[in-house]
Amino acid sequence: MTGRQIISECVIEPGTGKAIELLKGQILRVEQVEGGQCADFNCFNLHDYKEFMHCGRTRTVHGFHPTTGTFMWSAPPRERAMLYILEDTVGRNDVLFPRCSAYVYEASYGFAVHTNCHDIQAEAQREYGLTPDDVHDSFNLFMCTGVDDDGHAFMTRQTTKRGDYVDLLALMDVLAVPNVCGADVMKTSNFALKPLKLTVFAADDADLAKVPKTPTLASQRTPKDFRNPTIKTDRPLRRDPAYSPEFPNTPIVVTELAISLSPAEMEMFNAVKRSDIYGDDDAAALRDLLFSWWEERFLQAHAGAPSIESK
Amino acid sequence: MTETVVKLRLNQQQLELIDRTIAQGVAPDRVALVRLALHEYAAAHQAEADRMERAQ
Repeated sequence: MTGRQIISECVIEPGTGKAIELLKGQILRVEQVEGGQCADFNCFNLHDYKEFMHCGRTRTVHGFHPTTGTFMWSAPPRERAMLYILEDTVGRNDVLFPRCSAYVYEASYGFAVHTNCHDIQAEAQREYGLTPDDVHDSFNLFMCTGVDDDGHAFMTRQTTKRGDYVDLLALMDVLAVPNVCGADVMKTSNFALKPLKLTVFAADDADLAKVPKTPTLASQRTPKDFRNPTIKTDRPLRRDPAYSPEFPNTPIVVTELAISLSPAEMEMFNAVKRSDIYGDDDAAALRDLLFSWWEERFLQAHAGAPSIESK
Repeated sequence: MTETVVKLRLNQQQLELIDRTIAQGVAPDRVALVRLALHEYAAAHQAEADRMERAQ
């Protein structure tokens, strides 16, 4: 059992959620009270709500079911590790499905009003001045999902029991917003809504020592790096007459590099070149080969994923 | 024997990656790096290509 200091604890009832200020070095435990309950989760930088957790980046780095030892990342251009999953007694979370919404329950089930994760999140976030448009893609704790042979995401029943939990360690000050998923007519929470217990702990040295280092790169930009750092406060979009595009690395200029291949090298090339994609365009096929080789030999992480430094 | 000239079309970003790789000592120049890539890639993928050809 943990010897961590408890800072606060509460139970969120079915149909509700709670925004919690979780400071760097604190742990939020989301715990099953009865078992079988999905928790949707949003997360914002407490000092700049425009930095928020990004399921797309998170699933690219950690796969569709992030669990112990993985991070929740913020959206580009910030791309920082916001939270670390310190412990997960189940190991089945989801970053494939969006939050359920009123639209889903009206369109598919005919409900005029129904508990749904978007509206629950919005109501919980309203305590901190956020609007329904600020709710973002949810990290779905305890949600059991997969992808079928046709490429469609599916959800199924979960096997969580009373006392199962996920511990999220804050790597920056965040507003953490868990909610009891509102889906009682789907398999998500085994066709029933149950409460969830939230506990905030102070992490101890052993907890902090478990966190792998993540890169600090120039590309992780903050408003001080933005050409337009001011948050737009009105709703209509109007063209800025003073706008002058400054896209990086433009114009893209193509240079020819002539490569003389011996008959033996041509034979080698012809054996492996991707004619199925490039046809007779040997230049394109050789370029493909060059960068495919480079990926295989030098790329450290999954495509598009920031690598995580080993300790 | 006649050599075949293939004219690779690379943009400045692709060339930057190639040049950084060369700077690590992987190959002496751009042409040599492409040749190295061909030799290593072909060696690694020849078996796979043979399998695909047999399957067709």
